[in-house]
Amino acid sequence: MNYRRPERADALAAQYVLGTMSARARARFTRLARADPALAAAIRAWEDRLLPLADSVPPVEPPEKIWTGILARIDRTAAAAGSQRRTAWAAVSLWRGLALTGFATAIALALVLLSPPLERPAATLVVVLAGQDAKPALVASAERNGRLLTIKAVAPLSPGADRSLQLWALPAAGNPRPLGLVPASGVVQIALPVDAGTALQNVPALAVSLEPRGGSPTGLPTGPVLYSGPVERLY
Amino acid sequence: MSVDAAQQLERNARLMELLARTALADQAAFEQLYRMTSPHLYGVALRILRESAAAEEVLQESFVNVWHHAGSYVAARSQPLTWLTSIVRNRCLDRLRKHDVDTVSIDDEDHAMTIADRNPLPLDLLLSGAEAGAVRRCVEALDAGQKQAIALAFYQGLSHSELARHLKQPLGTVKSWIRRGLERLKTCLDGAGLAR
Repeated sequence: MNYRRPERADALAAQYVLGTMSARARARFTRLARADPALAAAIRAWEDRLLPLADSVPPVEPPEKIWTGILARIDRTAAAAGSQRRTAWAAVSLWRGLALTGFATAIALALVLLSPPLERPAATLVVVLAGQDAKPALVASAERNGRLLTIKAVAPLSPGADRSLQLWALPAAGNPRPLGLVPASGVVQIALPVDAGTALQNVPALAVSLEPRGGSPTGLPTGPVLYSGPVERLY
Repeated sequence: MSVDAAQQLERNARLMELLARTALADQAAFEQLYRMTSPHLYGVALRILRESAAAEEVLQESFVNVWHHAGSYVAARSQPLTWLTSIVRNRCLDRLRKHDVDTVSIDDEDHAMTIADRNPLPLDLLLSGAEAGAVRRCVEALDAGQKQAIALAFYQGLSHSELARHLKQPLGTVKSWIRRGLERLKTCLDGAGLAR
Protein backbone atom coordinates (compact mmCIF):
# COMPACT_ATOMS: atom_id res chain seq x y z
CA MET A 1 0.00 0.00 0.00
CA ASN A 2 1.25 3.42 -0.82
CA TYR A 3 0.58 5.77 2.06
CA ARG A 4 2.33 8.72 0.49
CA ARG A 5 -0.40 9.76 -1.90
CA PRO A 6 -2.62 12.09 0.12
CA GLU A 7 -5.91 10.76 -1.25
CA ARG A 8 -4.81 7.18 -0.52
CA ALA A 9 -3.77 8.18 3.00
CA ASP A 10 -7.13 9.86 3.50
CA ALA A 11 -9.08 6.81 2.28
CA LEU A 12 -7.09 4.56 4.61
CA ALA A 13 -7.64 6.94 7.54
CA ALA A 14 -11.37 6.72 6.82
CA GLN A 15 -11.29 2.89 6.90
CA TYR A 16 -9.21 2.99 10.06
CA VAL A 17 -11.72 5.20 11.88
CA LEU A 18 -14.73 3.33 10.52
CA GLY A 19 -13.09 0.16 11.81
CA THR A 20 -13.02 -2.11 8.77
CA MET A 21 -9.23 -2.63 8.66
CA SER A 22 -7.79 -6.03 9.46
CA ALA A 23 -5.67 -6.48 12.59
CA ARG A 24 -2.45 -6.35 10.64
CA ALA A 25 -3.40 -3.28 8.61
CA ARG A 26 -4.60 -1.53 11.79
CA ALA A 27 -1.34 -2.22 13.59
CA ARG A 28 0.71 -1.01 10.65
CA PHE A 29 -1.41 2.08 10.15
CA THR A 30 -1.20 2.99 13.85
CA ARG A 31 2.57 2.70 13.67
CA LEU A 32 2.79 4.85 10.55
CA ALA A 33 0.48 7.51 11.96
CA ARG A 34 2.67 7.86 15.02
CA ALA A 35 5.56 8.96 12.83
CA ASP A 36 3.58 10.89 10.23
CA PRO A 37 1.74 14.05 11.31
CA ALA A 38 -0.19 14.26 8.02
CA LEU A 39 -1.57 10.76 8.54
CA ALA A 40 -2.39 11.55 12.18
CA ALA A 41 -4.23 14.69 11.03
CA ALA A 42 -6.21 12.68 8.46
CA ILE A 43 -7.28 10.26 11.22
CA ARG A 44 -8.32 13.15 13.46
CA ALA A 45 -10.36 14.73 10.69
CA TRP A 46 -12.19 11.43 10.12
CA GLU A 47 -12.77 11.04 13.85
CA ASP A 48 -14.34 14.49 13.87
CA ARG A 49 -16.55 13.45 10.95
CA LEU A 50 -17.63 9.98 12.04
CA LEU A 51 -17.45 9.73 15.84
CA PRO A 52 -20.38 12.10 16.50
CA LEU A 53 -22.46 9.30 14.95
CA ALA A 54 -21.77 7.34 18.15
CA ASP A 55 -23.90 9.84 20.09
CA SER A 56 -27.04 7.91 19.21
CA VAL A 57 -25.90 4.68 20.88
CA PRO A 58 -28.12 4.17 23.93
CA PRO A 59 -26.07 4.73 27.11
CA VAL A 60 -25.64 1.78 29.46
CA GLU A 61 -24.74 2.32 33.10
CA PRO A 62 -21.54 0.32 33.69
CA PRO A 63 -21.22 -1.80 36.86
CA GLU A 64 -19.64 0.07 39.78
CA LYS A 65 -16.77 -2.43 39.98
CA ILE A 66 -15.27 -0.82 36.85
CA TRP A 67 -14.74 2.46 38.68
CA THR A 68 -13.28 0.74 41.74
CA GLY A 69 -11.00 -1.20 39.40
CA ILE A 70 -9.83 2.02 37.74
CA LEU A 71 -9.18 3.62 41.11
CA ALA A 72 -7.18 0.61 42.28
CA ARG A 73 -5.06 0.72 39.15
CA ILE A 74 -4.28 4.43 39.21
CA ASP A 75 -3.49 4.30 42.94
CA ARG A 76 -1.10 1.47 42.36
CA THR A 77 0.74 3.22 39.55
CA ALA A 78 0.86 6.42 41.56
CA ALA A 79 2.46 4.57 44.47
CA ALA A 80 5.00 2.75 42.34
CA ALA A 81 7.64 5.40 41.88
CA GLY A 82 10.80 4.98 39.93
CA SER A 83 9.80 3.95 36.44
CA GLN A 84 8.92 6.21 33.51
CA ARG A 85 5.59 8.02 33.83
CA ARG A 86 3.88 10.63 31.79
CA THR A 87 1.45 12.52 33.96
CA ALA A 88 1.63 15.29 36.44
CA TRP A 89 0.67 12.89 39.15
CA ALA A 90 3.31 10.50 37.99
CA ALA A 91 5.86 13.29 37.94
CA VAL A 92 5.04 14.00 41.56
CA SER A 93 5.35 10.40 42.60
CA LEU A 94 8.49 9.98 40.55
CA TRP A 95 9.97 12.97 42.17
CA ARG A 96 9.45 11.32 45.52
CA GLY A 97 11.25 8.28 44.27
CA LEU A 98 14.23 10.11 42.86
CA ALA A 99 17.63 8.93 43.87
CA LEU A 100 18.86 10.75 46.91
CA THR A 101 21.65 12.44 44.99
CA GLY A 102 19.26 14.11 42.57
CA PHE A 103 17.11 15.13 45.46
CA ALA A 104 20.02 16.54 47.42
CA THR A 105 21.25 18.52 44.43
CA ALA A 106 17.84 20.02 43.92
CA ILE A 107 17.41 20.92 47.56
CA ALA A 108 20.91 22.38 47.69
CA LEU A 109 20.09 24.54 44.71
CA ALA A 110 16.89 25.59 46.38
CA LEU A 111 18.67 26.49 49.57
CA VAL A 112 21.22 28.62 47.74
CA LEU A 113 18.35 30.76 46.55
CA LEU A 114 16.96 31.32 49.98
CA SER A 115 17.23 34.61 51.65
CA PRO A 116 18.01 35.24 54.44
CA PRO A 117 20.94 32.84 54.76
CA LEU A 118 20.59 29.49 56.46
CA GLU A 119 22.16 30.34 59.77
CA ARG A 120 19.00 32.18 60.63
CA PRO A 121 16.27 29.63 61.43
CA ALA A 122 13.74 30.80 58.85
CA ALA A 123 10.84 28.48 58.20
CA THR A 124 10.73 27.99 54.47
CA LEU A 125 8.72 26.35 51.74
CA VAL A 126 10.54 24.64 48.90
CA VAL A 127 9.10 23.06 45.80
CA VAL A 128 11.22 21.25 43.25
CA LEU A 129 9.22 20.97 40.03
CA ALA A 130 10.18 18.11 37.75
CA GLY A 131 9.18 17.19 34.21
CA GLN A 132 8.10 13.85 32.78
CA ASP A 133 11.69 12.69 32.78
CA ALA A 134 11.76 13.29 36.57
CA LYS A 135 14.61 15.77 36.18
CA PRO A 136 14.21 18.91 38.29
CA ALA A 137 13.41 21.87 36.05
CA LEU A 138 12.35 24.64 38.43
CA VAL A 139 12.73 25.42 42.09
CA ALA A 140 10.19 27.56 43.90
CA SER A 141 10.89 28.79 47.38
CA ALA A 142 9.55 31.24 49.92
CA GLU A 143 9.87 32.16 53.52
CA ARG A 144 6.72 31.07 55.24
CA ASN A 145 6.02 34.50 56.67
CA GLY A 146 7.22 36.31 53.51
CA ARG A 147 5.13 37.36 50.55
CA LEU A 148 7.57 36.60 47.77
CA LEU A 149 7.72 33.31 45.93
CA THR A 150 11.08 32.98 44.18
CA ILE A 151 11.23 30.86 41.04
CA LYS A 152 14.42 29.76 39.42
CA ALA A 153 14.89 27.38 36.50
CA VAL A 154 17.56 24.73 36.95
CA ALA A 155 17.19 23.50 33.37
CA PRO A 156 16.54 25.47 30.16
CA LEU A 157 12.88 26.29 29.46
CA SER A 158 11.53 26.66 25.95
CA PRO A 159 7.82 27.43 25.98
CA GLY A 160 7.86 28.77 22.39
CA ALA A 161 7.21 32.33 21.24
CA ASP A 162 3.41 32.25 21.40
CA ARG A 163 3.16 30.34 24.67
CA SER A 164 3.53 31.14 28.34
CA LEU A 165 4.40 28.95 31.30
CA GLN A 166 1.96 29.39 34.15
CA LEU A 167 2.49 28.36 37.76
CA TRP A 168 -0.42 26.86 39.68
CA ALA A 169 -1.16 25.95 43.27
CA LEU A 170 -2.90 22.58 43.42
CA PRO A 171 -4.98 22.65 46.59
CA ALA A 172 -5.97 19.42 48.35
CA ALA A 173 -9.55 20.29 47.45
CA GLY A 174 -10.94 22.52 44.73
CA ASN A 175 -9.62 24.02 41.52
CA PRO A 176 -6.00 24.81 40.73
CA ARG A 177 -5.19 28.46 41.55
CA PRO A 178 -3.01 30.54 39.23
CA LEU A 179 0.05 31.95 40.99
CA GLY A 180 1.74 33.71 38.09
CA LEU A 181 3.64 33.39 34.84
CA VAL A 182 7.16 32.05 34.59
CA PRO A 183 9.22 33.87 31.94
CA ALA A 184 11.39 31.93 29.49
CA SER A 185 14.42 33.03 31.49
CA GLY A 186 13.02 30.92 34.30
CA VAL A 187 13.79 33.50 36.98
CA VAL A 188 11.04 35.49 38.63
CA GLN A 189 9.74 36.61 41.98
CA ILE A 190 5.99 36.35 42.36
CA ALA A 191 4.31 38.61 44.88
CA LEU A 192 1.72 36.76 46.95
CA PRO A 193 -1.40 38.46 48.30
CA VAL A 194 -0.73 37.00 51.75
CA ASP A 195 2.27 35.34 53.40
CA ALA A 196 3.47 32.14 51.73
CA GLY A 197 2.55 29.96 54.71
CA THR A 198 -1.07 31.05 54.40
CA ALA A 199 -1.13 31.17 50.59
CA LEU A 200 0.13 27.60 50.35
CA GLN A 201 -1.76 26.19 53.30
CA ASN A 202 -3.49 22.95 52.26
CA VAL A 203 -1.62 23.09 48.96
CA PRO A 204 0.27 19.82 48.61
CA ALA A 205 1.76 20.57 45.21
CA LEU A 206 2.57 23.16 42.55
CA ALA A 207 2.51 22.64 38.81
CA VAL A 208 3.51 24.52 35.67
CA SER A 209 1.34 24.23 32.57
CA LEU A 210 1.86 25.40 29.01
CA GLU A 211 -0.70 28.09 28.16
CA PRO A 212 -1.47 30.60 25.42
CA ARG A 213 0.70 33.69 25.67
CA GLY A 214 -0.30 35.76 28.67
CA GLY A 215 -1.66 32.77 30.57
CA SER A 216 -4.78 30.65 30.63
CA PRO A 217 -7.81 32.59 29.38
CA THR A 218 -10.15 30.54 31.58
CA GLY A 219 -8.46 30.84 34.96
CA LEU A 220 -7.91 27.08 34.92
CA PRO A 221 -5.10 25.15 33.28
CA THR A 222 -5.85 24.47 29.62
CA GLY A 223 -2.55 23.11 28.33
CA PRO A 224 -0.39 20.15 29.28
CA VAL A 225 1.33 20.06 32.66
CA LEU A 226 5.05 20.28 32.02
CA TYR A 227 6.40 20.30 35.56
CA SER A 228 5.07 19.56 39.00
CA GLY A 229 6.34 18.92 42.49
CA PRO A 230 5.22 18.59 46.12
CA VAL A 231 5.42 21.51 48.54
CA GLU A 232 8.01 20.73 51.20
CA ARG A 233 7.96 22.57 54.49
CA LEU A 234 11.45 23.06 55.95
CA TYR A 235 12.21 24.44 59.37
CA MET B 1 -29.07 28.91 19.37
CA SER B 2 -31.31 26.03 20.41
CA VAL B 3 -31.52 24.85 24.00
CA ASP B 4 -29.91 21.56 22.99
CA ALA B 5 -26.96 23.26 21.31
CA ALA B 6 -26.46 25.52 24.31
CA GLN B 7 -26.56 22.52 26.64
CA GLN B 8 -24.07 20.69 24.51
CA LEU B 9 -21.68 23.63 24.52
CA GLU B 10 -21.95 23.83 28.27
CA ARG B 11 -21.35 20.10 28.62
CA ASN B 12 -18.30 20.33 26.36
CA ALA B 13 -16.86 23.20 28.36
CA ARG B 14 -17.41 21.20 31.53
CA LEU B 15 -15.73 18.10 30.07
CA MET B 16 -12.75 20.19 28.92
CA GLU B 17 -12.36 21.61 32.38
CA LEU B 18 -12.55 18.15 33.94
CA LEU B 19 -9.92 16.87 31.52
CA ALA B 20 -7.63 19.79 32.34
CA ARG B 21 -7.99 19.05 36.04
CA THR B 22 -7.48 15.34 35.46
CA ALA B 23 -4.18 16.23 33.78
CA LEU B 24 -3.24 17.86 37.08
CA ALA B 25 -3.97 14.61 38.92
CA ASP B 26 -7.25 15.84 40.40
CA GLN B 27 -8.95 12.58 41.28
CA ALA B 28 -12.32 14.18 42.08
CA ALA B 29 -12.42 15.76 38.62
CA PHE B 30 -11.46 12.44 37.08
CA GLU B 31 -14.35 10.72 38.86
CA GLN B 32 -16.80 13.34 37.57
CA LEU B 33 -15.45 12.87 34.09
CA TYR B 34 -16.02 9.13 34.47
CA ARG B 35 -19.56 9.58 35.80
CA MET B 36 -20.49 11.95 32.98
CA THR B 37 -19.11 9.91 30.09
CA SER B 38 -18.86 6.22 31.06
CA PRO B 39 -22.51 5.23 30.32
CA HIS B 40 -22.14 6.54 26.78
CA LEU B 41 -18.72 4.96 26.26
CA TYR B 42 -19.81 1.67 27.81
CA GLY B 43 -22.80 1.59 25.45
CA VAL B 44 -20.47 2.11 22.47
CA ALA B 45 -18.09 -0.65 23.65
CA LEU B 46 -20.94 -3.10 24.34
CA ARG B 47 -22.34 -2.76 20.83
CA ILE B 48 -18.99 -3.39 19.21
CA LEU B 49 -17.77 -6.18 21.49
CA ARG B 50 -21.19 -7.71 22.29
CA GLU B 51 -19.89 -9.12 25.53
CA SER B 52 -20.05 -7.32 28.85
CA ALA B 53 -16.82 -8.77 30.29
CA ALA B 54 -14.83 -7.56 27.28
CA ALA B 55 -16.57 -4.16 27.24
CA GLU B 56 -15.90 -3.71 30.96
CA GLU B 57 -12.26 -4.48 30.47
CA VAL B 58 -11.95 -2.01 27.59
CA LEU B 59 -13.73 0.71 29.55
CA GLN B 60 -11.44 0.20 32.52
CA GLU B 61 -8.26 0.19 30.41
CA SER B 62 -9.44 3.27 28.54
CA PHE B 63 -10.00 5.32 31.68
CA VAL B 64 -6.68 4.26 33.20
CA ASN B 65 -5.19 5.49 29.93
CA VAL B 66 -7.14 8.77 30.15
CA TRP B 67 -5.82 9.32 33.69
CA HIS B 68 -2.26 9.01 32.44
CA HIS B 69 -2.68 10.92 29.20
CA ALA B 70 -5.30 13.57 29.94
CA GLY B 71 -2.52 16.13 29.41
CA SER B 72 -2.21 15.10 25.78
CA TYR B 73 -5.79 16.10 25.01
CA VAL B 74 -5.66 19.26 22.94
CA ALA B 75 -8.89 21.20 23.14
CA ALA B 76 -8.48 22.91 19.80
CA ARG B 77 -8.23 19.62 17.96
CA SER B 78 -11.40 17.80 18.87
CA GLN B 79 -14.40 17.73 21.17
CA PRO B 80 -13.67 16.04 24.50
CA LEU B 81 -16.28 13.33 23.90
CA THR B 82 -14.86 12.64 20.42
CA TRP B 83 -11.43 12.20 21.95
CA LEU B 84 -12.73 9.83 24.63
CA THR B 85 -14.82 7.89 22.12
CA SER B 86 -11.79 7.43 19.87
CA ILE B 87 -9.81 5.93 22.75
CA VAL B 88 -12.58 3.45 23.59
CA ARG B 89 -13.42 2.53 19.98
CA ASN B 90 -9.79 1.98 19.05
CA ARG B 91 -9.35 -0.42 21.93
CA CYS B 92 -12.55 -2.23 21.01
CA LEU B 93 -11.51 -2.56 17.38
CA ASP B 94 -7.99 -3.70 18.21
CA ARG B 95 -9.47 -6.35 20.42
CA LEU B 96 -12.09 -7.44 17.95
CA ARG B 97 -9.66 -7.69 15.03
CA LYS B 98 -7.04 -9.54 17.04
CA HIS B 99 -9.76 -11.99 17.95
CA ASP B 100 -10.61 -12.38 14.23
CA VAL B 101 -7.07 -13.50 13.51
CA ASP B 102 -7.01 -15.96 16.40
CA THR B 103 -10.26 -17.70 15.64
CA VAL B 104 -10.23 -17.25 11.88
CA SER B 105 -13.78 -17.31 10.59
CA ILE B 106 -15.31 -19.97 12.81
CA ASP B 107 -17.46 -17.55 14.73
CA ASP B 108 -17.88 -15.01 11.97
CA GLU B 109 -21.23 -16.59 11.38
CA ASP B 110 -22.30 -16.21 15.02
CA HIS B 111 -21.00 -12.69 15.01
CA ALA B 112 -23.17 -11.79 12.03
CA MET B 113 -26.14 -13.75 13.36
CA THR B 114 -26.33 -11.87 16.65
CA ILE B 115 -26.58 -8.57 14.85
CA ALA B 116 -30.17 -9.06 13.83
CA ASP B 117 -31.18 -9.31 17.49
CA ARG B 118 -29.79 -5.98 18.50
CA ASN B 119 -31.99 -3.00 19.09
CA PRO B 120 -31.94 -0.36 17.93
CA LEU B 121 -30.63 -1.61 14.60
CA PRO B 122 -27.39 -0.10 13.28
CA LEU B 123 -29.17 1.62 10.43
CA ASP B 124 -31.64 3.28 12.80
CA LEU B 125 -28.71 4.41 14.92
CA LEU B 126 -26.98 5.87 11.90
CA LEU B 127 -30.02 7.90 11.00
CA SER B 128 -30.83 9.04 14.52
CA GLY B 129 -27.13 9.63 15.21
CA ALA B 130 -27.29 12.15 12.50
CA GLU B 131 -29.72 14.38 14.30
CA ALA B 132 -27.68 17.53 13.92
CA GLY B 133 -28.87 18.98 10.62
CA ALA B 134 -26.13 18.58 8.03
CA VAL B 135 -24.86 15.19 9.27
CA ARG B 136 -28.31 13.75 8.95
CA ARG B 137 -28.75 15.23 5.50
CA CYS B 138 -25.41 13.75 4.42
CA VAL B 139 -26.21 10.30 5.80
CA GLU B 140 -29.65 10.28 4.24
CA ALA B 141 -28.17 11.15 0.86
CA LEU B 142 -26.21 7.86 0.77
CA ASP B 143 -27.45 4.87 -1.24
CA ALA B 144 -29.21 2.14 0.74
CA GLY B 145 -26.28 -0.30 0.46
CA GLN B 146 -23.74 2.34 1.49
CA LYS B 147 -25.84 3.33 4.50
CA GLN B 148 -26.31 -0.27 5.62
CA ALA B 149 -22.64 -1.21 5.23
CA ILE B 150 -21.36 1.91 7.00
CA ALA B 151 -23.85 1.49 9.84
CA LEU B 152 -22.87 -2.16 10.43
CA ALA B 153 -19.17 -1.36 10.29
CA PHE B 154 -19.39 1.69 12.54
CA TYR B 155 -21.75 0.45 15.24
CA GLN B 156 -21.02 -3.28 15.24
CA GLY B 157 -17.38 -3.31 14.22
CA LEU B 158 -17.90 -5.66 11.28
CA SER B 159 -14.92 -6.22 9.00
CA HIS B 160 -15.21 -6.28 5.21
CA SER B 161 -15.61 -10.06 5.05
CA GLU B 162 -18.16 -10.11 7.86
CA LEU B 163 -20.10 -7.39 6.05
CA ALA B 164 -20.06 -9.39 2.83
CA ARG B 165 -21.40 -12.46 4.61
CA HIS B 166 -24.02 -10.59 6.56
CA LEU B 167 -25.27 -8.57 3.60
CA LYS B 168 -24.95 -11.57 1.26
CA GLN B 169 -22.96 -9.56 -1.26
CA PRO B 170 -19.61 -10.12 -2.97
CA LEU B 171 -16.67 -8.71 -1.03
CA GLY B 172 -15.84 -6.29 -3.84
CA THR B 173 -19.34 -4.81 -3.77
CA VAL B 174 -19.23 -4.27 -0.04
CA LYS B 175 -15.80 -2.68 -0.22
CA SER B 176 -16.93 -0.27 -2.89
CA TRP B 177 -20.12 0.63 -0.96
CA ILE B 178 -17.96 1.53 2.01
CA ARG B 179 -15.38 3.42 -0.01
CA ARG B 180 -17.89 5.41 -2.05
CA GLY B 181 -20.11 5.99 0.96
CA LEU B 182 -17.22 7.45 2.95
CA GLU B 183 -16.16 9.63 0.02
CA ARG B 184 -19.66 11.01 -0.32
CA LEU B 185 -19.96 11.61 3.41
CA LYS B 186 -16.71 13.51 3.38
CA THR B 187 -17.62 15.70 0.45
CA CYS B 188 -21.02 16.41 1.95
CA LEU B 189 -19.80 17.09 5.50
CA ASP B 190 -16.79 19.16 4.50
CA GLY B 191 -19.02 21.12 2.14
CA ALA B 192 -21.33 21.84 5.05
CA GLY B 193 -18.35 23.15 7.00
CA LEU B 194 -19.06 20.73 9.80
CA ALA B 195 -16.18 18.35 9.82
CA ARG B 196 -13.42 20.67 10.85
